[in-house]
Parts: sequence; C-alpha cells; structure tokens
Amino acid sequence: MAAENQHPQPGNALHSAGGATASRICPLKGVMAVVAILWLLPATGQAQDSPEFFRQNCMNCHTIGGGRLTGPDLKDVTQRKDREWLINFMMNPKAVIDSGDPYALKILEESRNVPMPTLPGMTRERSENLLDLIEAESKLPQSQFEGLKISNQPFTDADRALGRELFLGTRRLEAGGAACINCHSMHDLGPLGGGRLGPDLTNVYERLKGRQSLSAWLGAPATETMQPIFKRHPISGDEIHALVAYFDASAGETPAQPTSNQIAFLLMGLIGATAAVFGFDAIWKRRFRAVRQPLVAESIAHEHAENVAHHQAESTAEH
Amino acid sequence: MNIRSQVSMVFHLDKCIGCHTCSIACKNVWTDRKGAEYMWWNNVETKPGTGYPTKWEDQDKYKGGWETNGNGKLNIKSTGRAKIIPNIFHNPHMPSMDDYYEPWTYDYQNLFNAKEGADQPTAEPISLIDGQKIDVQAGPNWDDDLGGSPIYAENDPNLKGLTEQQRMQLSSVERLVFFYLPRICNHCLNPCCVASCPSGAIYKRGEDGIVLIDQQRCRAWRSCVAACPYKKTYFNWFTGKSEKCILCYPRLETGQAPACFHSCVGRIRYLGVLLYDADRLEEVAKLPDDQLVEGQRSLILNPHDPAVIAAAKKAGISDGVIDSAQKSPVYRFVMEWKIALPPHVEYRTLPMLFYVPPMSPVQASKSDDTIHHDTEDLFHDIDSARVPMKFLANLFGAGHEGQVRYALAKQKAVRWHRRAETVGDVSRELADRMLQEANCTREEAEAIYKLTALCTFEDRFVIPPMHREQAIEMMKEPHEHREEAGFGFVGGLRRGL
Repeated sequence: MAAENQHPQPGNALHSAGGATASRICPLKGVMAVVAILWLLPATGQAQDSPEFFRQNCMNCHTIGGGRLTGPDLKDVTQRKDREWLINFMMNPKAVIDSGDPYALKILEESRNVPMPTLPGMTRERSENLLDLIEAESKLPQSQFEGLKISNQPFTDADRALGRELFLGTRRLEAGGAACINCHSMHDLGPLGGGRLGPDLTNVYERLKGRQSLSAWLGAPATETMQPIFKRHPISGDEIHALVAYFDASAGETPAQPTSNQIAFLLMGLIGATAAVFGFDAIWKRRFRAVRQPLVAESIAHEHAENVAHHQAESTAEH
Repeated sequence: MNIRSQVSMVFHLDKCIGCHTCSIACKNVWTDRKGAEYMWWNNVETKPGTGYPTKWEDQDKYKGGWETNGNGKLNIKSTGRAKIIPNIFHNPHMPSMDDYYEPWTYDYQNLFNAKEGADQPTAEPISLIDGQKIDVQAGPNWDDDLGGSPIYAENDPNLKGLTEQQRMQLSSVERLVFFYLPRICNHCLNPCCVASCPSGAIYKRGEDGIVLIDQQRCRAWRSCVAACPYKKTYFNWFTGKSEKCILCYPRLETGQAPACFHSCVGRIRYLGVLLYDADRLEEVAKLPDDQLVEGQRSLILNPHDPAVIAAAKKAGISDGVIDSAQKSPVYRFVMEWKIALPPHVEYRTLPMLFYVPPMSPVQASKSDDTIHHDTEDLFHDIDSARVPMKFLANLFGAGHEGQVRYALAKQKAVRWHRRAETVGDVSRELADRMLQEANCTREEAEAIYKLTALCTFEDRFVIPPMHREQAIEMMKEPHEHREEAGFGFVGGLRRGL
C-alpha cells in the first residue's frame, strides 16, 4: 500500500527521468541568447546614441562648422590633433590640463579659461564613437551640429517684454519646460525674488560672454539640474531670442540682495500669521467656551437690572 | 431578526428621596482616585435645575447626541468626517472644569494643629486640583444645595415651552416643587460615544450590552465626552484616559446588583434583561421625535413569545438569560405597563435606563387667604400638578405629552384603586372608572402596586447569568485568560528569559 501511495504526481514526472536532457539543454540556449543580446545592445545603442549624446552634452560649447562658442569649432578636429590625444583629453580634460600639456593650455586660454568639464559616462568606446561622428559630420557640406541658428536681429522692447514674461512664467514655454523663476532670481522681481536653487541671472549675459554662447547654452542647458528638464522640453529659437534680449537688458544691473529678500519674507510671514490668528477667531467666534459662569453672570446682571428698575419706579412714585 | 440581550434599568422617580446614597456608594467603589475626583458616574440632580455638568441638556451648547439631516441620515452632532480634521487639536463643545466643578476637600488638619487664637479654628476648603484654598462656587449637586435658586432652577433647559405664569409658579410659595433625577450611564442601544471614538476604544459588550471604555486603547481624544448627550463619560486628567459607569459589571458577573442599585434607600432602582432586535436600531433612531418612545418600545421583544425564544436560542442567547428576561421587572414597567420612559429620547441614542415619571405632591387650595390641605380632590388631576406636564414631556417624551400623560394617569389610577381597597373613602366605582380611563385593570394595578411598594430584593434585581466563560471562549483560550486576569500580574506571567 505504501509503495502505491508514493506514485509520482503527473507534474513531478517532468523533473524525473524522461524530460531531463531536454530541459537541461533548452535553458542553456536561452541564457546564451539573452547574454548575447545584452552584450550587443549597449554597443549598438551607444553607436546610435552618439548624435543624441553630442547634442545634449557637447553642443552648448561646441559646433561642427558653426564657429567657436565657449569651446572651439570641432570641424576637422581629428586632422588638427592625433586621435589618441583627443580620446585622452575627452575622457579626462582636467588631468590633461593639469599635466601642463601645451596644446591643452592653449585651448584653455582660447576658451577664456573655462575648462572643459569631465563628462560622466565618457568611456573610451564612447569617445571613439564621438570622434567617428565628428569625422563623418566634418565631411558633410552642412553638419546637423552647425549650431542653433541664432537670429542676428537687434533686440526690441517687445522681445525684452516677452523674455520677462517667459522668465516669470506668466507665458508658458512652448515645449512645456519649467519657467526660469522657479530656480533663478533677477534684479527686478520685487520683494520675494525668484528661486534660490540656481544662481541669480542678472549678470548672466556678461558671465557667459555674450549673445552667442548664452544662446547656445539655452539651446541645450548642460547642468545636472537643468539638463533632465530641458532635454525633454527644449526652449525654441524664438524663446531663446526673447530671453537673451531680457538678459541683455539687465546686464548692467546689480543683483537683488538676498538678505533684504529674507527680511521681506519674514515680515510677510508675520503679517500672514497674525491675519490667520484673527481669521481663526472670526471663524470660531461662536465656539463653545463655558456654560456655568456666563449663566451665573447673566442671571446676576438680570436681577440687578430688575432691582434698579424697581427702585426707580419706587422713587418716581414717591415724587 | 438579530436578537441581543441588554441589561436594562428602571428608576422609579416617584420613590426617590434625593438622599445621594447611590452617588456615595459609587464614589467609594469606583471614583475615589486621583484624576477621578470630579467624576460622578452616578449623580442625583434636583429638577428643575441645571444639573451636572451645568446645563448638560442644552445640546445647542454641548452638541451631544445624534441628529437627522435632510436626506435621512443619522449624524453625530459633535463630530464627523469633515469636522474632525479642523478640530483635531482641540475638541470643541467640551465642558470645562468649571462646568463640572472644581473638586475640593477641607483642611481638617487645621482643626488639630492651629495655633492658639481668639477664634475657633476652621477647616477651610482646599482645591483637590492645585492644593490652594478655593472659594467654592459649584458642586456636583449644586442644584440641590441651592434648590429653587433664580440662577440654577430658572435656567433648566426643560422649562422650554412653559408659559411665564407656569415658570413663576414653580418657585412661588405653596406651589414650590422639585423632584430628583438620579442619573447613571444609560448603556444606550445606539451609543453616540461608541460611534464618535476615533480609537475604537469604546464598545458595547455583546452578551449584556454594557458600554465600556478599553483603558488600553483609549487615546484621550475625548470625542466621547463631547458626543455623549448625557455627559456620562469623563476624562481622567491623571491617567489620560476617559472613564464611565461600568454598571458594576464585576458585581453583575457574580450575581450582585450594581453598587448604586444595592445601596438605594428608596428602593427606586430595578434591573433586568430585555431582548431586542438589533437589525431595526437605525430605522428607529431616525423616527420623528413624537414616534421615538413608541419606536424604541417596538425594538424590545416579548420574551414569552415562542418565536422570539426560538430566535434568541438560535442567536446564541442562553436559556438562563431568556428565563431571566421573562422575569425582568424592567420588561413589566416598560412594555407591559408602559409607565417607564427613556430620558431625552430626542437625542436618539436609545437609552436603556427608563424613568417612571414622578407624581407631584398633594395640592393645597387657597380660599380667603387661608390655605387648605384637606381637599375634595384627593389625588389631583394630573394636569393641575405642580410640575407642569410640559416640563415632564420635555424630559421624558421629546416634548410630546402623550406617553407621559399615559404613564402619570396610570399611576394616579393605581393610587385611587389602592385608596378604595385599603381606606375605603373612595368609591369602588370611581376607582374602577379611573382605572378604565387609564387603560388599566385591577390585576394590573395590583401588580404595579406590588412591584412599586412591596418589592423585595429579588423582585427588583433579576440579574441574568452572565456566562463570562462563554464570552471569553469566543475571544481567547480560557486558560490563557485566567493567567491574565485577577489580582497580581496583568498581562500574563513570563518565566525564564
């Protein structure tokens, strides 16, 4: 009886004798296929990613055939310097500059001493891919990375007004990006100022050395905070024109004093709190306070009033 | 039908002499502790008067009990989903300490230790809260101490709807009247305190309907204090938990009457089990004011009805409890004779403590500036009683006189009947006519008389077998419970590491 009870259940049969070979080979093949796909994916992905990577990380300082911005024009860069040096520099610009390499120092000087930042995820492979891309683009009569077509039209009052609206967020950015005021302040924003996360932008026009490089920066903001936002919601050419006009106008002003902002904020907070306290009192005016004491006080007052009336009546009767 | 059993009570106000023995018994057993000084789980009020806490019946101020809104829902007046958030740090409508009273004692030591002086030493009152000398301005039975005062008696919320003349008469010479209203927790069928508790700490015990506060789970929200329209839950400032009358359940479980019942000198208190239909509670609690008394009666089931007995057994109610319900004096007062009425039924908590409304004193007649006490109309007409009918109706009939009139007429008829039986100065015909008018038979009148005047301990207190062992068995292993209950270690004894 005991032996009969131990018949394997249908489900278990697969794991025993019969199905062993098949089930052992099949997963192995599957795993190999998955590994192969995973191996290939990043390689292909990276090659295809290169133009996107360039657009996001390089274009705010470099063009290909569009003239220099903060950094040099990269057209035919592979002919100017050997590939190995370029890859080393791309992977760690600071190290190369610090080593006292004469060409690196020359570039730094040309870039008004703004060093090229070390980009995260810049592997040797990625550098190779980028150089391939630059080489290929250099051969084209007009590269897609020639840079944003920045209008040369002079700034009008309308441009400056529009720029201010965009900065304040009273007019939304077309692609839905966050308005500047969320993180940045300006000299003319009134007592509370703008956001404190980013720097005050009053003098940004001078800081970024003029119209062209400021426009290029806005075309693809590259800081850790701005990039994730504006990668998906880029600022359009017209908007950049208007914003740069606004920054141009404010170039000579002094930035707002953060301490005066803080005092104003504190004062407004105090006034608000006081108003809220009086507001609560008004809302809960009829709230429960006490029963017995008002009752006693009222009765005594009532009695007193009656006594007074009684006395008055008596005195008038006497007269 | 969802049959439950409820330990219910009747207080016969016609017998209450206002001696406060019940209050003292309760105080000594339960609330003679730090933090509970001001609590009177049992208190006796003088009516007309404002009671304890002051004007507890004024729900415009205290917002106790339930209210029905336009779309037929029953809402707690004091709190609710929308009200609880803005009031989360302060529960409004809470009686202050002054509305109860500041508890005090006397400086007795001064009587012995005072330095020799020209005057006798006195024992001055000292606050039990801060230990300083106080000027006593209120007390738990202040109405009694100041009975008929223009401050307290004239502000009784039950005087609503009385004419100016009726109000004047209440305190005029030879018309002055007051009666006593002893109060404990009503152990309501639709308790507002239970519904309002955000911690779920208050519960109505399944087997006997006693409403209790779990001291472990109470989180000092004090919603129950605001919600109970009878103001019978109290906050203990020392333990930070709310407390209330527990109907002396440890005594009931051992077959003894609660302390206040046991000690009652006037023997006004009756206790017994009622069976009721829990499925219809909400429907009844929503009835219009004038139908509430009758509606609450319709919840209570006849324990002699075989169908009810069968359903009760099916619901797990033991034979002992059914037997006890059949002998319940409360069932006779409330259901058979219909002379006991719930207090302030308009609060819609369906209180299970019923009051037999009091008869007023024999009235004197006045002619030629002399007052005669020997009147032809021996037991006056109930409408010319010193306590106006409207006043009693406000207390026991949600402002409607019908049920109160019925209860008083029947009591009066019993008096006429007994007068005819024993003294004989009243004709039998007249007494019978009175009985007939009051919808009462001679046998019924005799039974009312016996349970009112000649009742023994066993007649008054028909305590059901509590079967705690069965109730515990439903919740946990009885052996485990035995470890955790009783004197000594609470929470089970742990051995080893």
